[in-house]
Amino acid sequence: MNRDFRTTISTVIAMAICILLQSTILGRVAIRGVRPDIAMLVLVFVSLRRGPMVGQLSGFATGFLEDLMNVSPLGFHSLLRTVIGYLSGLLSGNVFIDPFLMPIILAVVATLLKGIISGIVSALFGIESSGFITFTGRIWIEVGYNGIVAPFLFALLNLFKVFKRIDKEGA
Amino acid sequence: MPGLFEGFFARHRKGATLAALVLVSLVCLMISNRTLVIKPKEIGLSVAGFFQRSFTGLFTWFGDTAGSIGQLRAAREELAAARARLEEMDQATREVLELRRQNAALKEQLDFAQNLPPERIAAEVIARDTDNLFSTITLNKGSRQGVKKGMPVVAWQGDIEGLVGKVVLVGPGSSQVLPLYDPQCIVSARVDTTRDEGLVAGQGKDRGTLVMNYVKKIAKDNIGYGDLVVSSGLGGVYPKGINIGRIRDITVPAYETSLVLQVQPIIDFDRLEYLFLVGPEGEAPPPAVPTPASAAPTPAAKP
Repeated sequence: MNRDFRTTISTVIAMAICILLQSTILGRVAIRGVRPDIAMLVLVFVSLRRGPMVGQLSGFATGFLEDLMNVSPLGFHSLLRTVIGYLSGLLSGNVFIDPFLMPIILAVVATLLKGIISGIVSALFGIESSGFITFTGRIWIEVGYNGIVAPFLFALLNLFKVFKRIDKEGA
Repeated sequence: MPGLFEGFFARHRKGATLAALVLVSLVCLMISNRTLVIKPKEIGLSVAGFFQRSFTGLFTWFGDTAGSIGQLRAAREELAAARARLEEMDQATREVLELRRQNAALKEQLDFAQNLPPERIAAEVIARDTDNLFSTITLNKGSRQGVKKGMPVVAWQGDIEGLVGKVVLVGPGSSQVLPLYDPQCIVSARVDTTRDEGLVAGQGKDRGTLVMNYVKKIAKDNIGYGDLVVSSGLGGVYPKGINIGRIRDITVPAYETSLVLQVQPIIDFDRLEYLFLVGPEGEAPPPAVPTPASAAPTPAAKP
């Protein structure tokens, strides 16, 4: 089986588990109802490691799954996660991921990007949601929360062989 | 010509995949939402409006945060006054409960016909939304247990029953509830003390309050802070008299004929565990199917 395909399947499974955790037990550690988006952090991590193709395919599949589970219109999360997966993948091989600072920066940027894209899509399609359509308190809580969680999650994901970067020199 | 396309896709495989996935998502959005703003001016307005709201929201948030430090001192004084008021209210509540008990006993003695209580289905909250953009509550009861789309949902917190929202999606074994604070949730309501009617709508989780619109301006002098807002039963979605919240702020817009009331929900949505789905008022549990023998009138039943 192609390694990219295997990684995409593994990422989709990992993100699906994260989505289930977010909708259930992570609610207990929510701050003002805001939970960390660990599914997005997994997507950012894998995209950085394996490039835009794996990132966008995993993002699309998981986003579609999320749309089926929520009241959000079909296509909303798939669009959001496809773009985040693709853009994170563009950085693949161009940034050095240290154990602490870079995960925080990436998590903060990805969360802000999610806020901007969701805001634009909501404005264009007239979607009303109770989340952070405008940049008020809730998004900043999620930015902070994701930033705190990211170094630990990235360290955990580093342990899985399936998410390791392919050495292009063929070593 | 096919070779040209193949060459192009081979060179731009990642970009072409991205374009295809984005296109599929957009088509899905258009089909499921059906409200795409097509005119260029409206697109510009929508996108610009998003950034404008973002900047305003950002500055308001920082301003509010800074202002709230100054308000803390005033809040302490208000807290002391509120505690004294609470004691009075406690006394009044006890009296009301006693009167209710007496009233029920008297009705029973007078043999008044009782309305059938609405059918209720108890359900447990098993999940919430997968991310922070939308707000739904998933329950462990679905169509197999008699849950129907549009059913109102209530909860009990601290001996008080309050409206939570309504069912928007029903599966065989689970259902999803749209909470009151969602902007798409609109309830026909009235101020319990003055009986003035209006529409209560959500403003998102961020705001913490609901907004009640279309209350006539002439009611301004009669409506006060802390007045209870209940469902009016108009529209037929929500039963009459279910507690929604208490008035926290009253605004009188200069060039409008109605008031804008900020309503603090009675239910704390972060503490929900068990909910009750309310059937149509007066609907009794489904009767057993009569057998031919039991369905036939007995001679004694004839006049």
